[in-house]
Amino acid sequence: MTALTSHLKLLEAESIHIFREAAAQFRTPVLLYSIGKDSTVLLHLARKAFWPAKLPFPLLHVDTTWKFREMIVFRDRTVSEMGLDLIVHTNHDGASKNINPFDYAPSVYTDIMKTQALRTALDNGGFDAAFGGARRDEEASRAKERVFSFRASGHSWDPRLQRPEMWQLLNGRLGKDETVRVFPMSNWTEADIWRYITLENLEVVPLYFAEERPTVERDGQILMVDDERMPLKPGEQPVMRKVRFRTLGCYPLTAAIESEATDLESVVAETLDARVSERAGRLIDHDEAGAMEMKKREGYF
Amino acid sequence: MTLAALSEERSLRPAAQPGDTSEAMLRLLTCGSVDDGKSTLIGRLLWDAAGVTDDQRAQIMNASHARAVNGERIDFSLLLDGLVAEREQGITIDIAWRYFETERRRFVIIDSPGHEQYTRNMATGASHADIAILLVDARHGVKRQTRRHAAICDLVGIKKVVLAVNKMDQIDWSEDRYREIEIDFRSLASNFSFAEISSIPVAALTGANVVARSDEMPWYGGPTLLEYLESVEAKTEPVDAPFRLPVQMVLRAENDFRGYAGTVTSGTIHVGDPVVDARSGLGATLQRITTMDGDLESASTGDAVTLVLDTDLDISRGAVLTETQRRPTNADVLEARLVWMSEKPFDPEAGYLLRSATDLTPVTSMSVSSLIDFETLSSTQAHGCSMNDIADCRILLGRSTALDLFSDLRLTGNFVLVNALDGATVAGGVITWVQSGAASAGENVLVLDQARLAGLCADLGDTPEDKAEYERRAQEVAILLRSAGVPVLIETDR
Repeated sequence: MTALTSHLKLLEAESIHIFREAAAQFRTPVLLYSIGKDSTVLLHLARKAFWPAKLPFPLLHVDTTWKFREMIVFRDRTVSEMGLDLIVHTNHDGASKNINPFDYAPSVYTDIMKTQALRTALDNGGFDAAFGGARRDEEASRAKERVFSFRASGHSWDPRLQRPEMWQLLNGRLGKDETVRVFPMSNWTEADIWRYITLENLEVVPLYFAEERPTVERDGQILMVDDERMPLKPGEQPVMRKVRFRTLGCYPLTAAIESEATDLESVVAETLDARVSERAGRLIDHDEAGAMEMKKREGYF
Repeated sequence: MTLAALSEERSLRPAAQPGDTSEAMLRLLTCGSVDDGKSTLIGRLLWDAAGVTDDQRAQIMNASHARAVNGERIDFSLLLDGLVAEREQGITIDIAWRYFETERRRFVIIDSPGHEQYTRNMATGASHADIAILLVDARHGVKRQTRRHAAICDLVGIKKVVLAVNKMDQIDWSEDRYREIEIDFRSLASNFSFAEISSIPVAALTGANVVARSDEMPWYGGPTLLEYLESVEAKTEPVDAPFRLPVQMVLRAENDFRGYAGTVTSGTIHVGDPVVDARSGLGATLQRITTMDGDLESASTGDAVTLVLDTDLDISRGAVLTETQRRPTNADVLEARLVWMSEKPFDPEAGYLLRSATDLTPVTSMSVSSLIDFETLSSTQAHGCSMNDIADCRILLGRSTALDLFSDLRLTGNFVLVNALDGATVAGGVITWVQSGAASAGENVLVLDQARLAGLCADLGDTPEDKAEYERRAQEVAILLRSAGVPVLIETDR
């Protein structure tokens, strides 16, 4: 019936359990859909949790207006094919002031067009819970977060005040002004995501696959010239390179990698290989470690 | 060990290929008192067993040098302590989840804080673990917090414990000292129901007996920590456990589809089997087991499915579907052992809710009968409990719900207590005794009101202590009467 390994089956069942607990306990949940591979798996798990019923909540996409065009095409096709209810929110105030990733520092741009926009969208919708595709293996502070992650008013997270979360029991009773972020994929790793996409035969945005694309190189990073809004520097000429993306976001802030991986299998292989070669590249570590030790010795003695 | 030597040693194990792990996944907890070296041990395990990527290695090396906390050594705890406050203070505040694989097994490591004030985070971590590594500093031996953590591991249902006697390098690798601690621990562990206790002498900082076998302790013939972890059997499901599926929600769809969505918490069910709603006792036949991937013939423990019955039982979230023979108790009074996790102490007058499996039931009254003394590990009589205490208590529910004993079935025998006002999770507990019929017996119920208890409680006044004592006596009388078959309801409006 399903080709999933026992480990992926277990992860899938756990995620479905979390989706159902949240949908049963919160009044107005919403699923944060950001179009990438993690969102693809998140959406697939949500559909499994409630099948044959329709999703009991809408999707929310915070559109900065600087996403790759292919992402928007993929989003709209997914929504119409699956008959989903999608809310698109853009910070129009920021957009009308032309807050863009070229003239503003990435942190300023991200805060206004993404973080503020998300808060406004959640407040406007009156959503008491938002599903996200974040995983604990992504980053050290994420490794500390609960599945039901409570936010005080203003959506702030206090890692010192996390609720206990014992066994399979998920307590979704909210205090005054509290909302919650729900992370059904907390225990998945990046490798699990790709293996699952392969075994479940899920479609992902074509940008994950290598193709000849117009690019420029800046500060050692390859950026794709996705539309005419990208200001070219004097003498800069877009060059066709065979590239793909490991993560997807706003095109001016997302670097491509040169690759020959044109299908899912080779992308998975490249992802796993990349890890191995990172390890194989330990020669640099050796040098650095040695160099550091020397410095330390110099300072020490 | 110097950095250079460490780099050499790293090539000990080949990089694991993800996906080809044969043993079942193992979720392991590290616990023990503060400064016994939990994060360092796990950091060392990850470092030596190839669970760390190169950019992380470089970062940790840099940070270790910047802080120079361990002289020549790498600060492995930086791999786990991901919160800014944790790095600033050099302590673990909340549990960290780490995922790694060797060629033999997939691991989820749950690193827990040792400080007493963060015990609730440790309890959270413990409840998700198959086995626990309990660390002890070889110089100091078993401490109060070691005993508390052992008691919590026991409470949440961990059956296998590894005592890791750490910092053996600090006591000249002394076998005598190690044996002394081991005997001490085994004696305290006899208070609990652990099925398997192992012990390993280690030195997390040097790596001795963590991944690489130690040359300094030829007297130790057992496995290294990693060898043990790679071969230990994960939690085993009892064969032929009774079927339970707590209903999470009712799914309705086109063509009059009506299904009960939930995860099987124990046992197996086949299409055509009779099932019963444990609360109402009403029965039906299982018609379909549906998933988005197609219908199934059977569903077992851990499967998230949707059950379609041949007749509509008119049940909703909170119901437990069960086999006909071995059913849960439809209970409205229970006894439990719990760990109190709220900064606000237990308040008999506060409103609490009992969250069990998928049900949420109002608590009519609750009384504490005893606390575990973390010096002697014996039970001492008590009427209250506060943060980080382990207490035995009796809980009366406003209506009955389907419950099992935790020792029989974990996932329908555990619960958390919720503060009805602010939603906070105040305690996590396991059911040790249940009874049905106390509140639902209607006119036959003997109501223990003030008038009936006047003589017994003639010496009590209006102070909070006296009120608690009144409650305790009432509960004791109720328990005695119930054990004699008399349904009792305690009149709590005093």
